[in-house]
Amino acid sequence: MQENHLAKWLNNELTEAELTEFKKSEAYATYERIRSVSETMEAPNFDVEQALAAVQNRRALQSTKVVQLHPFKKFLRVAAAIAVLITGSYFYLNTLGEKISTEYAENKEIVLPDNSEIFLNADSEISYDEKNWDRKRTIELQGEAFFKVAKGKRFTVETEAGTIAVLGTQFNVEGRKDFFEVTCYEGLVSVLFNGVETKLPAGNSLMAINGTLVDTMTPTTEAPSWINKESEFKSIPLRYVLDEFQRQHNIVVRTENVDLDQLYTGTFSNTDADLAMKSISVPSRIKFKFEGNKVLFYAENTP
Amino acid sequence: MEDTIQDNVCEESVFGSIFKATSKTVFNYIYYKFGNEEKAHDAVQEAFVKLWENCGKVSPQKAKSFVYTVANNTYLNVIKAEKVRLKYADKRLKTTNESPEYIMEENEFKEKLDRALGDLPENQRTTFLLNRIDGKKYAEIAEMEGVSVKAIEKRMHLALKTLREKIDGI
Repeated sequence: MQENHLAKWLNNELTEAELTEFKKSEAYATYERIRSVSETMEAPNFDVEQALAAVQNRRALQSTKVVQLHPFKKFLRVAAAIAVLITGSYFYLNTLGEKISTEYAENKEIVLPDNSEIFLNADSEISYDEKNWDRKRTIELQGEAFFKVAKGKRFTVETEAGTIAVLGTQFNVEGRKDFFEVTCYEGLVSVLFNGVETKLPAGNSLMAINGTLVDTMTPTTEAPSWINKESEFKSIPLRYVLDEFQRQHNIVVRTENVDLDQLYTGTFSNTDADLAMKSISVPSRIKFKFEGNKVLFYAENTP
Repeated sequence: MEDTIQDNVCEESVFGSIFKATSKTVFNYIYYKFGNEEKAHDAVQEAFVKLWENCGKVSPQKAKSFVYTVANNTYLNVIKAEKVRLKYADKRLKTTNESPEYIMEENEFKEKLDRALGDLPENQRTTFLLNRIDGKKYAEIAEMEGVSVKAIEKRMHLALKTLREKIDGI
């Protein structure tokens, strides 16, 4: 008899002789019965369609799970963006450093970490990096300021119109909308204006109106007039004089039939408004009407 | 080229036909092993969800043995086998006029067979039932179990031998 002959028999693989011999054996009857009865056996019910639907459901469920994760991912993305913005602005604001400004009719005196001094005229603003002052002496200026720079590394003043660089000196910078003026009182100042560098020795000044250089007076004093509570002008268009008046006295200026381009030479007080208005109107041959915090300048021949 | 596109398991229709052809066998296979219908249902779910997830990597020809393997691995040694309960088709009632004694004797035999099946080692029972109920060839059972055809023949031989000995009370 072959190896595993019971398996072969069930599979009809026995030879004729083997089968005959097997049928003669005592156990054959039971084997035959096991074979025939086991043919009627059935496994538990299994609903193929239902099982397939269940698999498809689970697949759908799994794909929705992925979708459900998305809001969280989005949230993470937003959170990351906010975190970057916050750190970014923190560092940006940190580098901006110190900021000092003056209102109309206000002056300020600022002492820098290296004992350099800045006198800030009305309606002006400076900013600088206090932490890195030792390495980088740079001031950003809007408006007008007088600088007494302590000796040391290069000292730079940046305005919209031009950049002024010095080592140690005293100078005045006015950088307003369309008016740029640098006056050197001591030492040597280098002015970078419109890409051209001008060396300004003591007692010289550089002035530009509307972006063009104009001749200007040479300073006779040791400091700008406004330090002594006066505003001094030499051949300056009246519009800038009136602007300065408005800044110094915080009085709103209006004009009627006045030629704002006529040149004004003179000085007005920064403390006495009435006196200042007279100082402006008399040489310009105009009249003024003062009410509250408003003043109207008008031509003499109009009512 | 066309064949591979048509026969992609990721195609709903291809997946469906593989499911219809194979799921019942997977179910029975796990049921014969552990005697637990619920576990057998879960194994079918598990195996075919895995097949879907890997539908790009498994060719239709390999899909069958893939699901058998996954189903098999699902309960690798983790659950205790329960008693396998099988039904018997009642063909005789309508067609025969056998004596009550014969029917009693027949039922007695079935009970003995059931008991003997329950006492069989899991691999012999699974082989025997896959062949007897599902009509699987030895070669196919060998593929499912991951053994040689010869090993399956051996299991079948031993299964029959043991069953007969139990039934005849040897």
